Formats: sequence, C-alpha cells, structure tokens
Amino acid sequence: MIGFGLSEKPVREQAHSLDGHIANLTSLLRQLDIRNATMVCHDWGGPTGLGFALSNPDRVRALVIMSTWAWPLPPAEFHKRIFPWRMMHAPLVGPYLLGRHNALAGRGMYLSVVDRKRFRDEAQSAYENILPDPAARLLTWTWPRWIPLDDTARGLERFRSLERELKKSKFPTLLVWGREDEVFDHKTFATRFKELLPHAEGPELVTGRHFLQEDSGVEIAEKINNFLDRIDARHP
Amino acid sequence: MIGIEVIDKPRLDGKRKALVLAEDRVGHYPEFREFFVRRFSLETNGLSRPGYVRAPSGMIYSLVFVGRSGEPFPDGIEIYALADALEPLSEGDVDTDLWALLSWMIDGIGGEWKVEDLDATGRLYQLPFLSDRG
Repeated sequence: MIGFGLSEKPVREQAHSLDGHIANLTSLLRQLDIRNATMVCHDWGGPTGLGFALSNPDRVRALVIMSTWAWPLPPAEFHKRIFPWRMMHAPLVGPYLLGRHNALAGRGMYLSVVDRKRFRDEAQSAYENILPDPAARLLTWTWPRWIPLDDTARGLERFRSLERELKKSKFPTLLVWGREDEVFDHKTFATRFKELLPHAEGPELVTGRHFLQEDSGVEIAEKINNFLDRIDARHP
Repeated sequence: MIGIEVIDKPRLDGKRKALVLAEDRVGHYPEFREFFVRRFSLETNGLSRPGYVRAPSGMIYSLVFVGRSGEPFPDGIEIYALADALEPLSEGDVDTDLWALLSWMIDGIGGEWKVEDLDATGRLYQLPFLSDRG
C-alpha cells in the first residue's frame, strides 16, 4: 500500500483517499496481469482489497477476510471512544503522537499483538525502521481519519457500495479472526460478514489481537492453503 | 499547569522560523477548527497574520493558518518555533512545548475532549516526559 511498508510515502494528507488506494491496487494488479487472485484482506486491506475484488471479479478467485469491515456504519465501539483512539489521531495530536513519536509502528503495534515479548524481540524494529521520520508516517494518522463515525464521513458512499456489492458476491470466502481482537471484535464484525456472505467459511478464530498475523502467521497460512485446496477439490 | 500564553506579534529580529509540526486537516473534528477561529479571531483576521504563543520553555511559536479553496478556513495549521537564527533547537523543549500546546488546545475545545484523556493517551504511548506525572 502506497504510504506503508517499502512503498513511496506521499507527504500530504490530501494524497490519500480510499478510492485512490483502491485505484492504486487496481493499477498494480492490472499491470502485473494478475488473474485468479486470492485476496487476503486485513484491516484497511479490507475496504481496499474488497474494493478491487468487487470491481474486478474476472481477476479474483477467492477472498480471505481478516479483522476488518466493509460497511459505512455503525463504527466499532473502539472507534467511537475518545480515549485512546479518537484522541490519538485528532488534529495536531495525530501528527505529534503518530508522526513525531511513531506511536503506531512502535507502541501501537506492540499493544495490538498477544505475544508482546516475541513481537518486541523479533518484529517491532522492522515496523519502526520502515517509517523512519515523521513525514514517512503520514498514513498512520490519515487512514484512521477515513473510518466513518457518522453520516458526514468521507468515503461513506464507497462503503455503502462495498456493502451493497459484497452482499451479491459469490466468491468462495474464508473468514479468519483474532480471538483477542478488541478493535474489530469477532462477535460483532465476523458475524456481520457472515450475514452478508452466508456461504463464507468460518469465522476461524486464531490467537491474535488486531494484527493477528503476528501471532498466528503460520496457522493462518495453513488455513488459507487448506481453504484453497477445498476450492480446487470442488472445481478440479 | 498548561503554560501557554497567547501574545501579540513578537520581535522577529535575529530569529528564524523552524517548522516543528504540521496539520493538513484541522477540521477533521470541526470543534478543533472552531477553537482556533475563536481563539485567534480568524473570522476577522483571516490570513492577515499568524497566531503567536509563548510556551513553557520560553520559546515563542508561530501558528500559521492555511486556507484551501473549497474548504472552511483554516484547513491546516503549521507550527513554527521562532528560534535564535543560528542556534539549533532543543528537540526536548520543542516536544514538551508542543505537548503543552496540545493540552491548551484540548482544554479550550472542551466538551467531550478532556486533558485527562490526552494525558492518558500520552502515557499509553509512553511519552518519556509524562512518565513521572503519575
């Protein structure tokens, strides 16, 4: 995703939009001529990955949906609270905490896994080092601001269309959720995906808070491989 | 103790403006924009002058309000330290000054926005200068 990882880092908030990130992904996958893709959609990978899949169904084979959402409202309880979520990315507070102090890649990621010692020892520096200065960290406070909290939010129409199109989707789908996720708790969010996609398998619960792949990466990969094997068996 | 004082235009001789914090979307929560409009009379002053504050370290900061066509004013804010022209900034002082400015802002916005929640958020993310404040 442009703005994260080793991708380029735009330095203005206005460079980022949900539609823009879906278009970026579409551009990448079309240029690589990817077909028969399995989209593994986690966190903001949900709205962006599903945005691509639902508008390019001829290139997508299956969906794996993990700890995310794809509808306008209501927001998660976590996202409605001032402390800590709305405060941490509030105007000026966001650039200060997440920019000057790298709060997401550092402490934020640490708080969002179950095995914190292992994360600190093995992974945390990788997250911190790819966002080396405040300008590189822009998306860490810009993306949270795109989560709809009420009907005045930016992106509301895109989320409405995601929900509408997702209901019609027939993609083979697997739901995987972190048992300890307190951001998109499985009882609320996996259940709603199951209502939208009654044919989906799961939710399969694994050890994990919001960044579940840090705690259960191997287990999640096995679940995805088994899921794809089952699809192959149905459509040899 | 917040320690922010709004001041009139300071003397700028021998000073340089050092950008220390930028916000592209001050109206993300509209009450934040309204605070700055109210506090610096922006409905009448508009773009004519920055706001100036003196922070706990004694450093003066300039608040430059940014307008963007099609958006309510101000749309952004740039905060500059007015440092001695040829001297380096103390990043530690800037850090605590900015925190004081954020506390002052949250206190001025009021309502559901509380300084206690800002402090709790700062402690959650282990800002070093908050570690001895309980």
